[in-house]
Amino acid sequence: MPVSASPPADAGRQSEPPADVAALIPLVRRIVEARVGNHPAADDLVQETLVRVLAAASRVEPGLLEPYAIVTARNVIASLWRQADRQRRNQHRVVDLRPAEEPDEQVLAVEEQSAVAQALARLSDREREALVAHEVAGEDTHALASQTGSTPGAVAAQLNRSRARMRVEYLLALENADPPTERCRPVLLALSSGDRRRQREVDAARHVLECDLCARLSQPLMERGQQRDDEVHISVTSDADVVAARQGARELASRLGFRATDLTILATAVSEVTRNIVRFAGSGEVVVELVERPRRGVRVTARDTGPGIHDVEQALADGYSTNAGLGLGLPGARRLMDEFAVVSEPGHGTTVTMTKWLQEG
Amino acid sequence: MQQQDGTDTRDDAPERQDPGEQEEQLLPQLVAHLREHRTRLRQEWSNRIQAAHLLEAMTPQEMAAETTSVYDNYVEVLETGSVEALQHYARDLSERIIPRGVETHEVVGIVLLLRDVLARSLFEKYQQELGLLNRVLDAYEPAANRIANTVAVSFVEERERVIRQQQDAIRELSTPVLPVRERLLILPIIGVLDSERARQLTEQLLTGIRTHRAKVVVIDITGAPDVDQTVANHLVQTVDASRLMGASVIITGLSPKIAQTLVTIGVDLSKMNTIGDLQGGLEEAERLLGYAVTREEGANGP
Amino acid sequence: MTPGPALVSILRQGAYLIASVHTALDDSQMVRFQDDLIGEIGRARSRGVIIDVAALDVLDSFGSNTLRSIAEMARLRGAVTVIVGIQPDVALAMVKLGMGTGSVPTALDLEEGLEYLDRHVQHSPAASARGGERSR
Repeated sequence: MPVSASPPADAGRQSEPPADVAALIPLVRRIVEARVGNHPAADDLVQETLVRVLAAASRVEPGLLEPYAIVTARNVIASLWRQADRQRRNQHRVVDLRPAEEPDEQVLAVEEQSAVAQALARLSDREREALVAHEVAGEDTHALASQTGSTPGAVAAQLNRSRARMRVEYLLALENADPPTERCRPVLLALSSGDRRRQREVDAARHVLECDLCARLSQPLMERGQQRDDEVHISVTSDADVVAARQGARELASRLGFRATDLTILATAVSEVTRNIVRFAGSGEVVVELVERPRRGVRVTARDTGPGIHDVEQALADGYSTNAGLGLGLPGARRLMDEFAVVSEPGHGTTVTMTKWLQEG
Repeated sequence: MQQQDGTDTRDDAPERQDPGEQEEQLLPQLVAHLREHRTRLRQEWSNRIQAAHLLEAMTPQEMAAETTSVYDNYVEVLETGSVEALQHYARDLSERIIPRGVETHEVVGIVLLLRDVLARSLFEKYQQELGLLNRVLDAYEPAANRIANTVAVSFVEERERVIRQQQDAIRELSTPVLPVRERLLILPIIGVLDSERARQLTEQLLTGIRTHRAKVVVIDITGAPDVDQTVANHLVQTVDASRLMGASVIITGLSPKIAQTLVTIGVDLSKMNTIGDLQGGLEEAERLLGYAVTREEGANGP
Repeated sequence: MTPGPALVSILRQGAYLIASVHTALDDSQMVRFQDDLIGEIGRARSRGVIIDVAALDVLDSFGSNTLRSIAEMARLRGAVTVIVGIQPDVALAMVKLGMGTGSVPTALDLEEGLEYLDRHVQHSPAASARGGERSR
């Protein structure tokens, strides 16, 4: 452990660090060592972390300096890995392509750190304490449970909720935005926690279509959730998205083992309903997901916030057309799919749900 | 089974009709007579077969070989009373002649003719002794009937087996789409079509059109006993999709009943090229293909 | 035509135009293709047009309708249109959707399409003069 040989006083080249920052040094060093071992840059990483904490110290609430330092250390380490990776990839080049650290980046980092601090501050005391104890001090759920007279499972669930809330508050703080409606926070929370039942209860998908802020914030939240590989979201605003939607559906369904004919039939149906969104509503989204019950198959949900359809019955009848020559959209898609349902609320929009079952054997 | 006489070497003779004491000698006598006149009787039988226009799918040589075998087997059954060998032979024969299109009535016909030829010969031999003739015929007839029965049953069983085998083979064929000649495919639909099978047929046909670069497709539904609405829709879709790929479709073997079904469910038969039987369909296909060839020649001309 | 790798190509071959679609097109690209092709038919005074759609994995209602309108406009400009290369599963999906190419003829591939044009373009007097030129 060569690092331990260098005295912590090294940090002292910053004139007079406030006492509470100096107190963080062992903690930061522990974190850095745990992640990079005796990497030659370890010392630098500790230094850099402390510099950043110091710079932000005045804006961070006193009680939160420690978690703030931990998050910062992690970020600093992560950016080291990114640089190392970039270097490795560019090693064969003659010139050094490493971009100089931009002033913008510095600003962004500062903003991000203050957003984290704000988000933490918006949690309830109990939530914050548990989260910090678990994430920072490394106390496990068993220990926390015995402290609060709860069970480890309940603690874990509570921690998950806290993290979800933390993500939402962090994003709101970063955007410096107040949610415009009362539905925003519940919807964002449901998206953040990845709880699909809750998402349906609050009709998250439709709210996201209608609310610009939540649409923006949902993206990073959903991207987290995109580790789910049995679902594809395509937001639809233009012609090109029609192609993207049908290709997304085709690709997802092919993983389930649909045969070529059915893949093309599915893609054609998706093309029709997606075009309807572009034509009649302007914007919306298409979600394609694999389903297991009652049988294996692919479900496509196409939502829009358009004018809605006044007479669904008529729209499903052959030959119905509000746009010359395009009347086949809905009835055509219905013929191609095994299940088909349209729900429309005039003035609010339309949701088409359709399913193709996998023909097994 | 019961009273074997020492002079005979039969070891598995089953029950005998009319086991009177003198009658024991009748069958061996009869067999000896038939063996003695084998050449003449066989020839007479052959002539009768020809006169009756039976087994015309066979060459004279084949005819001679088969009639000799049948004759010998026949006599052997009379002698031993065991039909096992004959059964074997009859199956074997059926297997050889079924693919040639020999029908059940022909097989039954030739056996009855042989029965008749031999009976006449016995009649001639014993006509002076009416009492004996009666007893000879009493002994001969049940055995002869059993022979006719055995042959007919063997043939029918064999035919059923062959048909089953063919059906299995067709079902197992990865592609029932048959390239008959360049640019021409035949899709024979045999057996009951459920919607899953109809789906597969459609997919196989469409892929087949691409791989064989088919220009004309004949879908023969003679072998489809029934066509319900789902299957009819598949059929119509198949025809339309083939057309989109540039192939013309001819449907043959449309029974009046199925045609009725199609019309009832609203299929516009006038948009489909339907022709009575497969032969006519093939002729129409040739015409379509030939037409293309002639025009091509014309275009390359002056 | 289009920046980047061409989405479609339109080639002159004697009195014919051969238009090939190389990749999936969205609706606006489809419309641009239609405009380009119709313009080219006029410029080249083509008698026959082959549209090769073998690369299309989907022909939905809009795609099918566009092909039909192209053929109709081409007809008004005196050219016969034949669509070639519709894939088996695309053909089936079109039929199930309830679409077709209407009265627009189809052929298996480019070769068949050319043969079709040779047969059908001959019938018009203007074309037979051209056909004569071609074989000279």
